[in-house]
Amino acid sequence: MAEELYFEDVNVGDAVPELVKGPLQKLQHVMYAGASGDFNPLHTDDDFAKAVGMKDGVIAHGMLIMGFVGQAVAAWIPKKNLKKFGVRFAGMTKPGNTITVTGTVTDKRVEDGDNIIAGTVAAKDENGDVKVTGKFEASLPSRS
Amino acid sequence: MADLSKVGTEYPPITWEIERGKIREFAKAIGDFDPIYQDKEAAIKAGYEDTPAPPTFLTVPMMWCDKMPAVINDLKINFMMVLHGEEEYEYYRQMYPGDVITGTPKVTRMEEKTSKSGAKMDMVTLEVLYTNQKGEKVAKARSLLVERK
Repeated sequence: MAEELYFEDVNVGDAVPELVKGPLQKLQHVMYAGASGDFNPLHTDDDFAKAVGMKDGVIAHGMLIMGFVGQAVAAWIPKKNLKKFGVRFAGMTKPGNTITVTGTVTDKRVEDGDNIIAGTVAAKDENGDVKVTGKFEASLPSRS
Repeated sequence: MADLSKVGTEYPPITWEIERGKIREFAKAIGDFDPIYQDKEAAIKAGYEDTPAPPTFLTVPMMWCDKMPAVINDLKINFMMVLHGEEEYEYYRQMYPGDVITGTPKVTRMEEKTSKSGAKMDMVTLEVLYTNQKGEKVAKARSLLVERK
């Protein structure tokens, strides 16, 4: 659970604590399909995935990887303070991949009386291949 | 091939009741065992009214509402050629169990682009602004779909 995070305690250049997920299993694709409602067989059926050109079979839902990134961000910045969160899907994730989420605070400002921090995030596999890049913005409480 | 004249089109609203069990199931499927999603008491201690919906939860109404196939058809997009390019959320309020959210999907941008390798793609941006049962804005979701041609 994220501890309360105060504006005064965050600085540009600070790292979002790293989160490591995996190695991914096909079972997680099935769980995520059921939870999210995305039943595209590309994520759960190897025969289907191969038939549409994925030589190794199923790939993970992009939104599952975004979910990992959201987990990493909200483990540090309480979810209630999160104002914006967006990603670009850059690469496919396969079963067996281990995903590491990292991030950095890139901006800190006071805007209309709100204490805003903003940063970038990325999810990469064990080979350093980028799966997702993204950004976040949060409004933090002040100690004063 | 996407029908680029459809920019600005609004589709019938998505209405979705936020359920405690679905929040728990969704967080577990991600492998996020933060107790605020599992346990109301833990959530209250952390400053929430109840177990909040996780950051990417708005994909649930989008995928479970059964309205996307009609949108994809109307836009004349070949579903087999679609990639999810980007996903972005703006959060205004928490979503808790029992909330009923409603949002109208709107096509805000459509354009053809050419990739570095020369392949042509149609880029379709879909936005949904959700309000809750009190009429309060809760969040905006923006999805970029890329149709390879």
